[in-house]
Amino acid sequence: MRRSRLARELKVAWAIAAKDMKIYYLRTPSLMFGILFPFSMFLSFVIGRNMPISRAIPVLVAQTVFFAASTIGPVSIPMERRLQTFDRFLSAPVSLLTVLLGKTIAGFIYGVGISLIPVVLGLSIFNSQITDLVALSLGVALSAFGFAAMGIMFASLPGQGPGQVMMPLNFVRIPLLFVSGVYVPVKDLPSWGQMASAASPLTHTIELVRLGLGGESFFEPAVNVMILAVYAVVFLLAGMRFHISNQKRE
Amino acid sequence: MMDAIALQGLTKNYGSLTAVDHISFNVEEGEVFGFLGPNGAGKTTTIRMLVGLTTPSDGSATVAGYDIIGDIVEVKRRVGVVPEASNLYDELSVWDNLLFTSRLYHVPKDELPGRVRNLLETFKLHERRDTKFGKLSKGLKRRVVIAAALVHNPRIVFMDEPTSGLDVVSAMSLRRLIRDLRMEDITVFLTTHYIEEADQLADRVAIIVEGKIIVVDTPESIKQSFRGEPVLEAHLSRIPDNSMIRELEPAGRVELRGDMVRIEVESLTEAIESLSRMVSQRGIQITDVNTHHPSLEEAFVAVTGVSPELMRIEKEGRR
Repeated sequence: MRRSRLARELKVAWAIAAKDMKIYYLRTPSLMFGILFPFSMFLSFVIGRNMPISRAIPVLVAQTVFFAASTIGPVSIPMERRLQTFDRFLSAPVSLLTVLLGKTIAGFIYGVGISLIPVVLGLSIFNSQITDLVALSLGVALSAFGFAAMGIMFASLPGQGPGQVMMPLNFVRIPLLFVSGVYVPVKDLPSWGQMASAASPLTHTIELVRLGLGGESFFEPAVNVMILAVYAVVFLLAGMRFHISNQKRE
Repeated sequence: MMDAIALQGLTKNYGSLTAVDHISFNVEEGEVFGFLGPNGAGKTTTIRMLVGLTTPSDGSATVAGYDIIGDIVEVKRRVGVVPEASNLYDELSVWDNLLFTSRLYHVPKDELPGRVRNLLETFKLHERRDTKFGKLSKGLKRRVVIAAALVHNPRIVFMDEPTSGLDVVSAMSLRRLIRDLRMEDITVFLTTHYIEEADQLADRVAIIVEGKIIVVDTPESIKQSFRGEPVLEAHLSRIPDNSMIRELEPAGRVELRGDMVRIEVESLTEAIESLSRMVSQRGIQITDVNTHHPSLEEAFVAVTGVSPELMRIEKEGRR
């Protein structure tokens, strides 16, 4: 009985994800904050610098999975609240966890899909090589899931539009870029910077992606994987908690 | 017969504001139950509690025999909800919207296409199945939303202002649909600010004002209990002036509505005699005359002190 209920809930989560993919992937805020933003930041970082491509491609991969995955939730949930389509989920016999899982899956797929672009570019044009497929796959997949859940968590903030959620989200996302070994490798940071870096989930994304594309990792890969997995669970559960609190207030 | 819906002291507070104040009533299986009240009376809040969109502050209720607090998932499995907003996805087609809603309600996969097809036929939406929801007229959107509420064959449907904002033809068509639901013994819990709509459709009506239930009864009983005087309405060939109205006032309370004179009378005989005398002295023709007992609208005004016309204007203004 429990297995069939789980299967039913997963089917509903998938239906929600598929619906979100159809409706929100090509929306302007998704394209702007999910694709244009990371690519623009990357270009502003590399143009004029004498940076080896081998170092640049992992940065772009990490940035795109970070921004793309965490953008879909903050676009879809506030819009659905404003149009009252979110009430459809709340009045249907599905758990809030299922709904949030579905939206996380939508963000996950977006994050993985968009981050494949720089990987393919690197492999086809810039002679990048995948030296550790497991590290690269785990890095991208765990990060996409975790950052999608992070987006869902921020989407629990009260607000009528995506902009009102994107502002506090970017207030967190942008500083994270600077303490996560994205622009300056962790090994080159001062000791306090390395400590701060260890606490950031994005650090472990860039570490695994660098390892996967022929670079080095400052932390043990197992540590990177574990921390990303923990963050994914924490973000999903925190997101659910905040959404339940919102519902109780209504 | 088991009650489809039973409320006992149901209450909702928002801080110091009591939106719904210890209301209690029952709705029988298979009846159309009208829930009337001015704007802000607590109608939508009551529905939101009964379908699990918000938790009550106090009291209890059962829907389809299940407690709305302890067994809300079971409640949600058994009810359909037609909210005031047509809240389906503009970017999806009618077909895709109904399919998606079916999945939310765990309609078995092999039954999905058949059910959706039947609904499209029943609601005459088949030709629009591939049209994006956002491109439909208001009336068609409401039909799709009602179809979506029935996708899992619920025996109880909650409708919040289903005909609000619709043109006359669309509203009539929707009222016919609601009557058809009643023919299938589906319990319909309906909020509306169109008093005459409740009069036409509802088996029983509850009037709520400032969160409190004022009366629960059949429309006919409510009309009878609030005013006994019959009403005489006469259309005249000329709009009467003030002197003519003063002449009619001894017969009862006189109201002028365009070319119609309306008199709430104690004695129909006296009223007819006064009217005949007045028109023959002034050479005016009576083009139409009828008598009736007070309407539900008049009873509503007597109970709440709120004009239905004002309610409609406020509603349209909020849209």
